[in-house]
Amino acid sequence: MFCLGIESTAHTFSCAIIEKRGKSGRILSDVRKIYRPPEGEGIHPREASRHHAENSPQVLSECLEKADVKITELDLVSYAAGPGLGPCLRIGAVVARSLSSYYDIPVYPVNHALGHIELGKMLTGAKDPLVLLVSGGHTMILAFLGKRWRVFGETLDITLGQLLDQIGRHAGFASPCGTKIEELASKSSNYEPLPYVVKGNDVSFSGLFSATKRIIPKGLETACFSLQETAFSMIGEAVERALSFTGKKEFLVVGGVAANKRLSEILQSICKRHDCKFFVSPKEYSGDCGSQISWVGLLESSKKAGAKLENTFVRQSWRLDTVEILY
Amino acid sequence: MKKGAEADIYLTTWNGRKSILKIRKRKEYRNEILDNRIRTLRTIREAKMISEVKSFGVTAPLVYFVDQNKFEIYLQFVSGELVRDLSNKVIIKTCEKIGKIIGILHKNGIMHGDVTTSNFILTSDKLIILDFGLAQRTEKVEDHAIDLRLFKEVLNSAHVAIVNSAWSSFLKGYGKIVGSSRKEKVISQVLNIEKRGRYANVI
Repeated sequence: MFCLGIESTAHTFSCAIIEKRGKSGRILSDVRKIYRPPEGEGIHPREASRHHAENSPQVLSECLEKADVKITELDLVSYAAGPGLGPCLRIGAVVARSLSSYYDIPVYPVNHALGHIELGKMLTGAKDPLVLLVSGGHTMILAFLGKRWRVFGETLDITLGQLLDQIGRHAGFASPCGTKIEELASKSSNYEPLPYVVKGNDVSFSGLFSATKRIIPKGLETACFSLQETAFSMIGEAVERALSFTGKKEFLVVGGVAANKRLSEILQSICKRHDCKFFVSPKEYSGDCGSQISWVGLLESSKKAGAKLENTFVRQSWRLDTVEILY
Repeated sequence: MKKGAEADIYLTTWNGRKSILKIRKRKEYRNEILDNRIRTLRTIREAKMISEVKSFGVTAPLVYFVDQNKFEIYLQFVSGELVRDLSNKVIIKTCEKIGKIIGILHKNGIMHGDVTTSNFILTSDKLIILDFGLAQRTEKVEDHAIDLRLFKEVLNSAHVAIVNSAWSSFLKGYGKIVGSSRKEKVISQVLNIEKRGRYANVI
């Protein structure tokens, strides 16, 4: 089975085709165009959606070409229906609806966060992991139980990705700033005290954000280093709590921030202590991509029929723990 | 005996008595300055808070000895079962008692900071509360609401089948202690916190 997945929740517009045989999937193509805001600024939803609209035809045809699949050979189309920025989401949905109605292909609206997890599981082979989802939109610790992904801990305010991006923007970089911050942090080992806020299984980053801004005058490298050490240790502690509470023997980290080496290092050391297998989604697929949407489409199609065209909305706020998993 | 998230737990004796040794070990992954700060703070806080809550009748394990430099606490050994591992029926019933204990703490201006079903032990005659490492002295509605929200989150993730009845049982016990007007205030703050969560409200 071939599925075209369309991702357009935030800065990335991406199309990907995955072929599913039995239970295994193979990514045939995954083409992305990323909207880059001017330095020091964040994503402007209107500008990002314009970027997506302008680039969608090229991304789509390149994706089909690379996969060597014709539109008429597609068995289904899936698109990220949320959560994300409304104007951006609508572009992906329009492309999906157009293909579906013109070529009569079943269409599946898919939860973007679920895509991160399922693609991570598919690529790493993790079976029943505790999952840490860390990206610009999410900071959540999840485990699967009774048809749903249950939240064991999460951020009470901003996400880890937002924290890094906002500090980066404050320092004048263009979003996403994770890589830049990681690079600067690796040049320092000078720790300045910052607030460390773990509330039970949850974390709160807003105070850390303000405090980090205040120490930037002491040197950007020191600030980035101290920020990473504090924020990642908080996440680490929340993960440790969830691991010891659930007793899971596998751990998987997915999402854009999963690409950070220091975070991986910390999580790996935690897994070792808890006798737990560590999985991280490969760097090229940890960030937003069409593959994550395509794969969930394929999984869902094994249990339910495509959505009716009048039900192919987008949902800017769509929490992962409200999605019922049938497969 | 057990590797917890925060500390390792050993069964030992202290002056001839069966005792629990709780060591907050150095975490290799954590920056040393940060790590020492956290371990010192929590070790002292835990010992202080346990003695304090005893003064208003909350049953927590006795503190036998604290070694601040080694980040060690010797605690009374309590035999019983973690509430997390009890049968659903018993958990629902016990939640009312948990609510009462949390109510007493809040009424006396203390938030526990880690209200989960694995931090309560049910013995033959008593319910005992553990782990005050994240406890804080605070009268704020927001802080008290955080305790309640965490417990709700735990029920929602680890005790899905009984979440509604366990939650209302908890609130019943909590209300009995703090009074209904304070209870309503805290519950509405819990909803506020949930609304702040990512993607929680539909725009």
